[in-house]
Amino acid sequence: MTEPILRARELRKSYDEGRIEALRGVDLAIEAGEFLAISGPSGSGKSTLLQLLGGLDTPTSGEVFFHSARLGAAIDLDVFRSKKVGFIFQAFHLMPTLRVLENVQVPMMALSPTPNHRAERALALLQEMGLEHRLRQYPNELSAGERQRVAIARALANEPEILLADEPTGNLDSANSARIMEILTGIQKQRGMTLIVVTHENEIAHAAARQIRLRDGRIEA
Amino acid sequence: MASQLSFTGFAWKNLWRRRLRTLLTLGGIAMAIGAFVALVGFSRAFEHEWLRMYEGTGTDIAVVEKSFLNTSLDESVGAKLRALPEVEQARPMIFNLMDLTPEINALVFGWQADSYELDSLTLTSGRRFRDGQPEILLGDILAGNLNKKAGDTIEIQGTTFTVTGIDHGGSALEAGAVIMPLDQLQQVSSLQGKVTAFHVRLRPAPAGEAQEHYVKRADAEIEAALPGLHAVPAAERASNNQIVLLAHAAAWGTSSIALLIGILSIANTMAMSVFERTREIGILRALGWKSWRVMLLILTEAAVLGLAGGILGLGVGWGTLRILSSLPQTASIVSASVTWLHLLEALCIAVASGLVAGAIPAWRGAHLSPVEALRHD
Repeated sequence: MTEPILRARELRKSYDEGRIEALRGVDLAIEAGEFLAISGPSGSGKSTLLQLLGGLDTPTSGEVFFHSARLGAAIDLDVFRSKKVGFIFQAFHLMPTLRVLENVQVPMMALSPTPNHRAERALALLQEMGLEHRLRQYPNELSAGERQRVAIARALANEPEILLADEPTGNLDSANSARIMEILTGIQKQRGMTLIVVTHENEIAHAAARQIRLRDGRIEA
Repeated sequence: MASQLSFTGFAWKNLWRRRLRTLLTLGGIAMAIGAFVALVGFSRAFEHEWLRMYEGTGTDIAVVEKSFLNTSLDESVGAKLRALPEVEQARPMIFNLMDLTPEINALVFGWQADSYELDSLTLTSGRRFRDGQPEILLGDILAGNLNKKAGDTIEIQGTTFTVTGIDHGGSALEAGAVIMPLDQLQQVSSLQGKVTAFHVRLRPAPAGEAQEHYVKRADAEIEAALPGLHAVPAAERASNNQIVLLAHAAAWGTSSIALLIGILSIANTMAMSVFERTREIGILRALGWKSWRVMLLILTEAAVLGLAGGILGLGVGWGTLRILSSLPQTASIVSASVTWLHLLEALCIAVASGLVAGAIPAWRGAHLSPVEALRHD
């Protein structure tokens, strides 16, 4: 049996000096190349779990392992986020002052390849997303679907092993939602990437190879 | 070729999003650097002109009192000075700053009519003054500003003086100055029997002794012969006479206040900018940017503000000096010359100001929690 790419052990996260418990002991193993959907009602802790799995935040107690390396100990969280995972957010979170082509170059600046390499790779990714005609636009000049495609290109910039998407279709109409999910599943299959999607939409959850459901900070049986 | 995003390009785009605020901040730092270039540049040029004047007249040593405001040296000291073997000439002199008209003030030198210092001047018209007579020489720049020529009269401190000649000296100070008989300046300044300093010209150095060593030895001998007095090499005297010291103090004091205001203006801009971009900083952290890289970005923005403001400030400072050096009220004491080293120093101060001002906002921005920053509205 192979080592899971990500493994959470007894994860707990509380806020407000322990008065709010977002996660109450989550154990989870995710295989490399897996498409996992995390669903559950609002406030169930699914976004918190995604943030901990992606090294955006640290647990109050418990551990997250990438292969066998413990996040925050054996592997630096900044390095993990820049090299191993790509984030896609519901609100897109593009840089408003940068053009489309420049936005995709931002994560690559953390790893310092040459500016020319960054620009060429960003161009290739945007072509793959069908956005080669929007390179010089600013985010506010794009449709919501286009913005999310730019965000996907940006998430792929450093060739991560894991894609983490937090409600990636939450701000999109049904046509754009379908297209984004088609792109994400296509990437997962073609590149053999691990895809973890947080969603409250059953249709997306059912499209995943495995689905877990959170309620009150715990995985439902 | 695809357009590339550079680190400084990113920093500049962040600054340029709030153009009015950035331009106002640039204006603030430009004024501060302009003040530094103009005021400190002026005071240094002033010092440089003093040195040129000493060099031009051939003065080796100035003998003054040890106190800072050393304006009342007794004239009788001259005889003791002249008795020393190294001293070829020891000439009493006074300098002062006086209002010539309500708009124009100028340096006024009191020299003896046969002083060796007059030999360095070229008379473009007229003749030298005579001791005991209310006569003056005008530097050519000052004469132009006053619209006076040889033969005209001018009233100084209630006494009417005749302009006997127009001179052109080796330094801008002489070109913008009044030179009158020592006794006349003592009279109008109520300093009878007193002088500002004795200017000493030494005999040639003995064979085999370096000039610098010779001057130091002569200094020591003068001070030993005249306890209570200070013998200062001319170059040192140029930089530490009371007018130059006051000019330096005023220039640095005013510039420091202006620079402090400039630093506060950049700090305010950067603090607001970091606060407004909290979510974007969270995005950068989420994308794997390390704290130090976020800090570097914010510091780069602050340094770019400082540098751009500094470049504008060089223009402001140079323009101010040009204007001051052409106004009749200030032309006699302000030189428009600025050294490259001074401009480079001003730019370094501008960038350093930006870095100091950006340090705290940069530290705060870099240490934001990515999750909390992403939640920021």
